[in-house]
Amino acid sequence: MSRFNLWKHGVKAGLLGGLITVLLSLMGMVEAFSQRQIVSSILSMDYTLLGSVVVFMGYVAAKRTTSAHLPWVVINSLTCGLITAGMLMLLLVIGDAINLRAVFVNASPTLYQILSFGHGFATSPLLFVSGALGGLFGGILYILPWAIRKMLIVSLVSVVGAGVLQDMIRPTLAAWEMLTGFAEWLFSSNGLTNQGAAALFILVAAIILFWSLKGRAVQSGFRTLPGKSQKAIRWAGIAVLIMILLVLPQVLGLFLSEVVTIVGLYVLLGLGLNIVLGYAGLFDLGYVAFFAIGAYVTGVLTSPELGFFSLSFWQALPFAIMVGIFAGVLLGIPVLKMRGDYLAIATLGFGEIIRILVLSDWLRPWLGGAQGIGKIPKASVAGFEFGMPQEIYYLILAGCVLVIFFSLRLKDSRLGRAWKAVREDEDVAQAMGINLVATKLLAFGTGAGFSALSGAIFATKLTSVYPHSMNVMISINVVCIIIVGGMGSIPGVIVGAIALVGLPELLREFAEYRLFVYGLALVVMMLVKPEGLWPEAVRRREFHEEEITEADDAPPPVAEVSR
Amino acid sequence: MAILLSSRKTTKRFGGLVAVDELDVEIEEKSIHSIIGPNGAGKTTFFNCVTGFYRPEEGQILLNSHSLVGLMPDQIVRLGIARTYQNIRLFPILTAMENVLVGLHCHLRANYFGILANLPSTRKEEKKAAEEASRLLKFVNLAGKGDLFAKNLPYGEQRRLEIARALATRPKLLLLDEPTAGMNPSETQIMMDFIRHLRDELGITILLIEHQMRVVMGISETVTVLDYGKKIAEGTPEEIKKNPTVIEAYLGKGGAAETMGVAA
Repeated sequence: MSRFNLWKHGVKAGLLGGLITVLLSLMGMVEAFSQRQIVSSILSMDYTLLGSVVVFMGYVAAKRTTSAHLPWVVINSLTCGLITAGMLMLLLVIGDAINLRAVFVNASPTLYQILSFGHGFATSPLLFVSGALGGLFGGILYILPWAIRKMLIVSLVSVVGAGVLQDMIRPTLAAWEMLTGFAEWLFSSNGLTNQGAAALFILVAAIILFWSLKGRAVQSGFRTLPGKSQKAIRWAGIAVLIMILLVLPQVLGLFLSEVVTIVGLYVLLGLGLNIVLGYAGLFDLGYVAFFAIGAYVTGVLTSPELGFFSLSFWQALPFAIMVGIFAGVLLGIPVLKMRGDYLAIATLGFGEIIRILVLSDWLRPWLGGAQGIGKIPKASVAGFEFGMPQEIYYLILAGCVLVIFFSLRLKDSRLGRAWKAVREDEDVAQAMGINLVATKLLAFGTGAGFSALSGAIFATKLTSVYPHSMNVMISINVVCIIIVGGMGSIPGVIVGAIALVGLPELLREFAEYRLFVYGLALVVMMLVKPEGLWPEAVRRREFHEEEITEADDAPPPVAEVSR
Repeated sequence: MAILLSSRKTTKRFGGLVAVDELDVEIEEKSIHSIIGPNGAGKTTFFNCVTGFYRPEEGQILLNSHSLVGLMPDQIVRLGIARTYQNIRLFPILTAMENVLVGLHCHLRANYFGILANLPSTRKEEKKAAEEASRLLKFVNLAGKGDLFAKNLPYGEQRRLEIARALATRPKLLLLDEPTAGMNPSETQIMMDFIRHLRDELGITILLIEHQMRVVMGISETVTVLDYGKKIAEGTPEEIKKNPTVIEAYLGKGGAAETMGVAA
């Protein structure tokens, strides 16, 4: 083994880290993040971003090191950190010599100031020091035992998370009178206070430590309980969850309730597409069409502005869903024979057709053209009107509960299995007696029905519908939610919607980089966790089977081919 | 013995290529019938015609004098013909149990609204299906493996799971496409015993494509030899071994001496 082999992984990781940090800088992400403080006047979000890249690459460098000798592991992570810093330094030097702004608009003096720690070249050596420290920290993380590493990482992530989500946590805490003082102790006007960050770090670390010491005992203790008590504890958990869900909007306030309702609408959409794509494997990229149909049918039937009908929301809702289902089946018929990417393209076209139809002058007298439909009435039950986001929340919650209930029932039924079989192998599914036409159309219809429900609620939430809110990005968002959350997993859809819709709403800094983050999230998920953030239990276990156990008798090479 | 399946002048063409050429075959009820022939002789194409994946251009395929030509694969499996595939085609990321349950699909009645309402009849049916699936898994010696993904099973178990899935459709006729491919001699012996057991215990008629002469000669009552889509010989294993046309098809002229070695 040549000597270079021993530290080449440090060099590789360093170059990669350098590329990533330079990219983040030139994209403007670093500068955009510099406004927000994580820990007040100590750590801002831009340095957190750069620092986490350096630490991560340092960790990777240490992990890849071919030599088991500790010094080599440290040298690799140190090299990695230094090279990353060096590449940022190079950016500074080049930026000083020539004007990069002609090409990279974000290569501003502010960016250079951030990268050189404030005072141009005088303070830029600090860059190497912090690069080296970051890399070393990554390396040390790798060397530390698993439990301590987990404790450190989770605690740090919690502190950063609390800092990033300060605008959400602070007002929530402040809404409770007794917690106002606590909120002020924890947060300054921008970022966590020093004592707040330290306390949070220690608290989370203590919890993680406790769980890694006692977690197994608690879990096995739970398992040894008699079946009745286990059931009782589960039910108690569900009851607590229901309580939380019911009081949530009162706690969250206006803005956060609005965010939650948007997440809820995406959960409805996601659960619908989960049937079509997650269960039946039919790659539908025109899914927004049914959302539009639900919204527009509700609009046409209820809005006095158009003057055809003036039904109430509840009278219009069944029609909206029925028309949605019908449209789903109708779309399903011509694309029955299509698979995979062909299906995606055909359905993408269908989504656009619907958008262009509602935008067209031809249908303007009926659908309002570019102006859309206004004056859609609020839904109301026995005098209670769902107007404010905090009230709409309950409508959406009810919709989600209904749709989750349907999804759960269908999942492990005869029909759910037929869908999954079609996803896995259409020809064989047919040879097992599954009627492909009926099975696929039921999937399209069910998914479209859920989507139309989401659209109808959306219409009454906004009290208006516009063609431009029915664009293809909604379809793409929903597909991303399912992939990131976990194909075919119901909790996965919820987690995916929170991660991909809720978080960007909360982090205005991200708004500009939303698509970048989506793309990154998809690629990273596919590489690291193809089963999704919250997969079904079976998938969680079985996807990593080969890493856990070796098959009892080694399969012959033919088996490899068949996989 | 009664005839279960008969093919009358079945012809399947792909463009100019005649893959199956006026094939006449009759399969006796409760027999083990093998189809052999060199690569590309049209054996799997014939299977695909029987199971409805391909529609033959000419001829008739009859199951108990009920015509199969023009029916969809899902209709044919309901009539009692199930198959396995040359290169195992399980549902890879469904569990072994779910794979078998999918096989039971055509014997379950639950409809959409029954499922949503979780009617007592649906619940009862699901319970019975789960019991039957466990029994089938046990039958093919996969008890306790029901929760594993099909793709994570070792090769031999995948073969057996595929058979269990086919049996779940409760077939009268089971088409096995090279069930011993990739198996070592002892595994092959186990598979042969298992196939015989299927016929003897469950009374299922077996139609077999096979390349290993040991298997063909060891278990089949009738052997049909195809070459270029045409039937060139048919008879008991003993007759086939001695048939000069067969020897020629396999080894060309003058290969008789070696053939006897292969066949034995």
